[in-house]
Amino acid sequence: MTDEQQALPSPNRYKEFVVTGSLVAMRDRQDSAAPKEIERSQDQSGKFLHAAEILTIEEVARQPVDGIDTPRILSEMADIGPEARLFLYRPEGKVIRYEVFEDPRICPEIHRGAVIENLQEKPKDVSGWSTHEFFIDIKGCLGDECGRCAIMCPENAIHLMGKGKGSFHEIDPLACKGCFICWVECVRTAADCILVDGKTFDPIMRAKHFGE
Amino acid sequence: MATVLAGNGAAAWGFRLSRVQCYPYYPITPSTACSQQISRWVNDGAMEAVTINAESEHSAASQIITAGKSVRAGTATSSKGLLYMIEVLENAAGGGVPCGLYIGNRATGAPINIWADNSDAYAMRDSGVIQIFAADAQEALDNIIQGYRIAEDLRVRLPFAVNLRGFTGTHAYEGVEIPKQEEVDRYLAPFVPIYPLFAPEKPVTYGAMLSAYPYRRHKRNQMAALSHASEVALKSGREFAEKLGRSYGLFEWIGDEKAKLVVALLGESACAGEVVTRHLQGKEGIPGVALLKIRLFSPFPAKEIAQALHQAGTKALVVLDEGLHHGGVLPPLAQRVATAIHLHLGGQGPKVASVIGGLGGSEVRQDHFQLMFNLADNIAEGKPYRPEPYWLDIDEDPIFAEREDQVSPKLWKKWGEIWKKQKRKEKFCAPIPPDAHEIRIYSRAGQGAITSAVGFTGAGIQNGYQLLTVPAFGSERRGAIITTDTLINFHKERKIRSFTRAWDVVILYDDTILQSPEHQVLEGLKEGGALLVNSSRLSVKKIREILNANEERVKVFTVPAGEISQRLGLGHLNMPMLGALHKVYEKVPFKTALSYYEKHVPRPREVSLESIKQGFAETSDQEVKKVKKERRLSVSQDFLDWRPEDHSQESWPSALEEVQL
Ligand code: SF4
Ligand code: SF4
Repeated sequence: MTDEQQALPSPNRYKEFVVTGSLVAMRDRQDSAAPKEIERSQDQSGKFLHAAEILTIEEVARQPVDGIDTPRILSEMADIGPEARLFLYRPEGKVIRYEVFEDPRICPEIHRGAVIENLQEKPKDVSGWSTHEFFIDIKGCLGDECGRCAIMCPENAIHLMGKGKGSFHEIDPLACKGCFICWVECVRTAADCILVDGKTFDPIMRAKHFGE
Repeated sequence: MATVLAGNGAAAWGFRLSRVQCYPYYPITPSTACSQQISRWVNDGAMEAVTINAESEHSAASQIITAGKSVRAGTATSSKGLLYMIEVLENAAGGGVPCGLYIGNRATGAPINIWADNSDAYAMRDSGVIQIFAADAQEALDNIIQGYRIAEDLRVRLPFAVNLRGFTGTHAYEGVEIPKQEEVDRYLAPFVPIYPLFAPEKPVTYGAMLSAYPYRRHKRNQMAALSHASEVALKSGREFAEKLGRSYGLFEWIGDEKAKLVVALLGESACAGEVVTRHLQGKEGIPGVALLKIRLFSPFPAKEIAQALHQAGTKALVVLDEGLHHGGVLPPLAQRVATAIHLHLGGQGPKVASVIGGLGGSEVRQDHFQLMFNLADNIAEGKPYRPEPYWLDIDEDPIFAEREDQVSPKLWKKWGEIWKKQKRKEKFCAPIPPDAHEIRIYSRAGQGAITSAVGFTGAGIQNGYQLLTVPAFGSERRGAIITTDTLINFHKERKIRSFTRAWDVVILYDDTILQSPEHQVLEGLKEGGALLVNSSRLSVKKIREILNANEERVKVFTVPAGEISQRLGLGHLNMPMLGALHKVYEKVPFKTALSYYEKHVPRPREVSLESIKQGFAETSDQEVKKVKKERRLSVSQDFLDWRPEDHSQESWPSALEEVQL
């Protein structure tokens, strides 16, 4: 029986499949021409989406918008009352679309769809949660070469300070909830990089914390 | 001119004209063809959108939600697929994502049933989605466009679903006006996201965890937005009429302005109800009648419906539900209507009776509507009625029972008193004379009967008539006997979209069907109607003998369609059979039809056309010399690859290419 090898047409640019009898194997693409890469549009405008703005009557009155008839808009909004909103879509500063409408929200402090605007979120002070103080000893920290603790911290409380040699990580005491994760995860435990209540790595504390 | 489309094809046009940018899907009967069509268009470059072959409906729904945050997104599904989507669809509603769904309504089982009812739509009614019901292909198309308009309105920003009854809606071919893209663009502005994902100037988080305080406030907001949808739907329906010429309200009141008796329902079954309402209107001894065809199911326009009933002075209302209430007091629609009446009209409102029908593909026929109007009349007269739903078309538990021995003693004990007082009245229930012509084809699955019926439909529409072709789909294997029905309506203004099943012409694609014990081919054929048989071996006389029918009973025609196809090298019977139909049924003149076929027959066009012509020429009700053996066609590979749903796109609506956009 001759084992004839047969290559299957492959959409992948680097690999292809070969069939031998009932066996299928993968190998680097050999003689068949690789499929052409789909040409991407050079137009960058489609890449990012622009958010629309929704303004209250006060906001419109405070800073008149170029490209719309502000006085008319204001009077239209005044007719509706405090629920009036101006929807404004101006991707490159140019107004493309606008519309006055009545805000359906009964509780206006909650965004539509319970969406949270990340840049407007104020960090919560969770320092009250922690029963220990966590502190990174900058002498031991590997700085931007490492960053493991910053990735692991569930509260995003660890920030990189500086750049390159001499950079280090710092724990924001207001954001730290005292979960011990950074302390466990630090690659330099032996070097006593992360201090708990000013204490260095302590097997007894560790055993206590993890119930070992 | 109208294009011949099935409901699914029309829905695909709805998405295309709405310029949907992202269309993830997972196919499921009976809405598959919509997704198929869209992915074909995207592949051909006719539609600029991203389609995603999702690994499940759950993923497809998750994907429209994600996409819908930034672009216009849509998908199609049915039955269990929708149930699988519901888990995530609440996130669309809660997240204020205005994406769109097209649903070919289908039963949800168990047992498995692929046919239509509203169980799936009812199952999603608490997911916060705007629910719109369409009654035919045209409405499906129009409602998808309007759906985006409503859903994206700044006072609403919620997902929507357009429902169309499976098969009799999704697979029924009829003339659909496809609006021009510019017209739709003038009506539906491009999508603008409020909180897009990946907007660098305003990064956002969707679906963060909220504690009770903000959660209950958010939910209060969400309900307020949904309740706005009804006002917005009314406004955008009106504007649709101005810009695209077809008007839509929250519901349609068909019949007398002052209707004492009303039957309310959702969706496609209303077409049969329309015929009955028109028939009963103004009849001696029958008070005003109307059909309340509800378009917007969620948010339910309670006040508007109560007002309409009040203005009409309605005395009795029968609500038809094509789904169940599973332990509720009344099925979903009846419950909503009854609550609306109770809240807005109190004791002044009409009495409400509930009927469950149309389950799992059961047809709600014209005679069923007659019964429902009859029931309403009895109730208006003050007769007692059941405080729980009636069941339609269940012989063991009829709406009207004349005699005690008609039902089980147990049931009689329960409802006997009511049955005794409720009378079936001839003035309501006398059969309705057919107002249109009806043709039935018996063929074997795979013979291409649907293609020819769809072609005929197009030719008839070109001739200025309204036509409708409803193929029956089932779990048959290839080669099983299936039916395809076509209705020809000569009234331009009056819509008829319901069969009486009194056939003017019956066609057999195969003379062996004459022998099928399961099929009585003369059943339902009008006295003196025509029977067309594809046969080379049977003479007209022989067929008469087999059927035991004389010349008064049936005009018999034969055509050697197999021979013609073989002679011309065509793998199908349907083209010669189409020509033959024109010989038998002359209302759609062959000459004008040919001008349609020239443009629209499946490729290879010359061969198809030639076989249509030969089919026409060789059809005869005379004795012709017969060959001994029936010719069997060698079936081509394409033919074996044939799938019913392809027909909504490929075969005939090559007309699609000819629609100028
Ligand atoms: S203790 Fe926990 S919360 Fe605090 S910095 Fe370390 S990982 Fe973050
Ligand atoms: S894991 Fe330790 S060494 Fe690495 S960045 Fe954090 S504190 Fe520094």
